[in-house]
Amino acid sequence: MNDSLRSALEGFIRRQAGADRVSITDVKLLAGGSIQENWMIRADVDGGDHASQLDLVVRTDAPSGVQGSHSRVEEFALLKAAFDAGVTVPEPLWLCRVPDVIGRQFFIMRRVAGIAAAHLVVKDGRYGGDRARLLERLGMELARIHTIRPPRADLGFLAEFDGPPALHAIRRLRAFLDTHHTPHPALEWGLRWLERHAPPRGDIVLCHRDFRTGNYMVDERGLTGILDWEFSGWGDPLEDVGWFCAKCWRFGPGGEAGGIGAREDFYCGYESVSGRRLDRAQVHYWEVMAHLNWAVIAIQQAERHLSGEETSLMLALTGHIVPELEYEVLAMTEAA
Amino acid sequence: MRDQPTGDQLLDTARALLRDELIPALPQDKRHAALMIANAMSIAMRQLQVGDEQERREVADLQAMLSAEAGDSIGAGGGTRAQLAALNRRLCERIREGQADAGRLHELARRHLVAVARHKVAESNPKYLGSGV
Repeated sequence: MNDSLRSALEGFIRRQAGADRVSITDVKLLAGGSIQENWMIRADVDGGDHASQLDLVVRTDAPSGVQGSHSRVEEFALLKAAFDAGVTVPEPLWLCRVPDVIGRQFFIMRRVAGIAAAHLVVKDGRYGGDRARLLERLGMELARIHTIRPPRADLGFLAEFDGPPALHAIRRLRAFLDTHHTPHPALEWGLRWLERHAPPRGDIVLCHRDFRTGNYMVDERGLTGILDWEFSGWGDPLEDVGWFCAKCWRFGPGGEAGGIGAREDFYCGYESVSGRRLDRAQVHYWEVMAHLNWAVIAIQQAERHLSGEETSLMLALTGHIVPELEYEVLAMTEAA
Repeated sequence: MRDQPTGDQLLDTARALLRDELIPALPQDKRHAALMIANAMSIAMRQLQVGDEQERREVADLQAMLSAEAGDSIGAGGGTRAQLAALNRRLCERIREGQADAGRLHELARRHLVAVARHKVAESNPKYLGSGV
């Protein structure tokens, strides 16, 4: 981050926080955001409502995004809705809608402590504390997310639709596959299975859509924050449950719930907040959907590399996850 | 005739050198990139070893499955990849129309798709099939 960027940010924070003086003392670009850029900053704030030393994250768009991901303005609204619903998220503080401050839209949120890296969380027992309690807590958090329901004026940018959410998702996935240069009959097989077994429209809730190990922060004691809201939208609550439990998000043999433990702990936590029993028989359906969804995202990631939009070995290799997802889809729909 | 070592042999040797001598000497924050490079080399090596054989078999399999039903030959002429794309598109249509929901095409498509998926996984991530995870 260069000096002019830094002083632009200091000015922005000073105005937003009603402070007398702000100085950014520490700046670090966080690794790992393929869709957005995250800067970790420490700001010394004198005067105003936030006078103290603030540990913050500045979130901006990366050079290129994935189809269907939210803008920073929308993500800020989602984060606020979640924060107000009692979900453990980094507190969203200030949004900058105009590009003239740092050249791009951005927002600032409080930094939460801990780590998110999935391979560490599943393998290293020091992170996240007791596994059963962590899963119960994650279930509770997800149920709180699902208390956010349409209609919501603040979330008016989220697309509404008629009919069963599963059929809506299937239409979206097929529309992408139809435009893609390489046909994927195994994914078509899975989509047809999903179409034939689609559950009817039930409660429509805010689905996080990337609620999985790797997207929540933990420290030695437990959960510190639910991250990555850029794909959230209205849908069937079980979509998030299936995504969390799907085999493609376990990162090893550590358990069927997010690779860290038993499904029942997660389900019970969820039910303790929702007050309603989760339809366990229906979760498998949404795990198949999770594999289809992830396969299409992986194809899109590889395409960002192939099209020259963003040359990246990481994106290129993501395309090579597709075969195992196809294999799993076939196995889950009893083809294998 | 090309001289040996062939491309896959070169990749195998190069990857061993990367893994045994370079990666241990790299600073922690560069290791992930090096591991990705080693993985990319492995995939390329396995694809070179398999050659075009697998995709040619996939074409023959699809032609047998779809021509018998459609009564024409799809994607004849053109290279193997172009043929495969045309045949797979046809299979996608059949599946979406529900023609593979049951009966002969269900059984043939099921077996074909599982076999193809296995071959693709064997190239992209062979550990997946053995892991039972």
